[in-house]
Amino acid sequence: MSEPLVALEDAAIGYAGAALLTGVRLSVGEGDFLAIVGPNGGGKTTLVRAALGALPLLAGRRRARRPLRIGYVPQREHVDTIWPFRAGEVVRMGRVPLLGPLRRPGPADDEAVRRAMARVRIEPLFDHPYGELSGGQRQRTLIARALAAEPELLVLDEPTNGMDPAAELATMDLLRELHAAGDLAVVMVSHRLENVANYARTLAFVDRAQRLFRVGPLDEMLQPEALSALYGRAVAVDQHQGRWLVYPTDAGRRPEAAP
Amino acid sequence: MNALQEFLEAREIWDVPLAASALSGALLGALGVYVVLRRTVFVSAALTQLSTLGLVLALLLEEQLHVETEHAAEQLAVAMIFSVAGALLLGAVRARRVPAEAAVGGVWVAASALVVIGASRLVHAAHDLGGMVFGNAVAVPPLELVVIGAVALVSLVVHVLFAKELSFVSFDPETARALGMNVPLWDGLLFLTIGLAIPATARALGALPVFAFLTLPAAAALLGRARFRAAFVVAAVIGVVAAGGGYVLSWFSGLPTGATMVVLAGIAVLPGALARSRA
Repeated sequence: MSEPLVALEDAAIGYAGAALLTGVRLSVGEGDFLAIVGPNGGGKTTLVRAALGALPLLAGRRRARRPLRIGYVPQREHVDTIWPFRAGEVVRMGRVPLLGPLRRPGPADDEAVRRAMARVRIEPLFDHPYGELSGGQRQRTLIARALAAEPELLVLDEPTNGMDPAAELATMDLLRELHAAGDLAVVMVSHRLENVANYARTLAFVDRAQRLFRVGPLDEMLQPEALSALYGRAVAVDQHQGRWLVYPTDAGRRPEAAP
Repeated sequence: MNALQEFLEAREIWDVPLAASALSGALLGALGVYVVLRRTVFVSAALTQLSTLGLVLALLLEEQLHVETEHAAEQLAVAMIFSVAGALLLGAVRARRVPAEAAVGGVWVAASALVVIGASRLVHAAHDLGGMVFGNAVAVPPLELVVIGAVALVSLVVHVLFAKELSFVSFDPETARALGMNVPLWDGLLFLTIGLAIPATARALGALPVFAFLTLPAAAALLGRARFRAAFVVAAVIGVVAAGGGYVLSWFSGLPTGATMVVLAGIAVLPGALARSRA
């Protein structure tokens, strides 16, 4: 078994000595697709920050391959649209940590930016103001910025938040395509299980209010008992035309499927 | 002799103040791009007030020690210490427990109150303080022009060498942090340049014009749809024109210099604001 890209061992995670989650054991290897699911404010982003090394652990140990190239996609609404950057300039920022201080981007960086924009099919938007792009286009720009770093590990925080169903599906299909294309490991945070259940290989459930942290392969985690622990109520799991369906059960009755 | 001839013949009076005003306008205008885009306009107001507080404390100390001669360098040094400390505290530390607006407002109010109290205790230097706070720009010693030039040079070097880090960290600190960049360090460097620029220029222009030049030229450039890098140049040029033009206009009209500069900088915002309101 190859060395994980990043791993947490018996980690306690939180701020200023107050642990939100304890006993966290998590490992992300090459080609993994991990979805971290839980309610809003449940500690998902905190877990990701700890895994990336951006938040010191309160206890336990973090291991990471060195050097590890990471691409990070923040929540779209956390990126202010008043900045007068063009989409291409935003994507070029993905090269900044690789270059280090005092080095200016060169032709190799320009080529990496062009390649990243082509992969998410936004090359024609290179000179468009970032703030004037649609939500889906902005999301692709931020994914392209992460890809411009030529990452081994792509981390996305709620990438489909606030999107309409069509844009959400398009974004998830794009992530599946990127994941399938190579050795890229994907870690994705979402508060909607339905959003990720048909894409991820591994699921982690996080809810600091319940002191809950569970991680395992998709099949194991999509069991009614595991889901009931996350949602605090009876939950049923079904498959329809190859897609997972997760829904609450009331008196054992399943909601009628849409035609 | 007409007014223009009189003005040209009085060059020895206005050459240093005019140069200091124009250089201050360029420096503050360019730095204002970050101030406006990071939504920290009121941080600059609080820093200006902290700088004034440092000045008042230096004057009080001189009076307490019965120092008769003016020690401009020492006064400036104290003002810079206050401004830089405030810049690092308000600009670079992203507090979790207290909303940023509350911290900025608290510092501004506290500094303003202490300036009023300190000024009321001044005996001999009270009449000088008005010019220092509200802007005079009529009498600027050559040393102050040198200080403004040195701060402008340091700022230029920092912002050219580390442009990509400062812009990335300012635009998206969350991603920068996730990718291992030292966000407090880069924020600190950015606000160090702002913290140095405010007291250096405040003695020449006054507190009100400094606040205005950190806001209005950048707002004018950004409302005019300037791209990121171009916004620094456009804002600097607007700063030079408003500061230099305001100085000359006040010379001929007899209007207060600092206020005239601010009005010109405000006029520069109008075209972009009108265009945006029609869009």
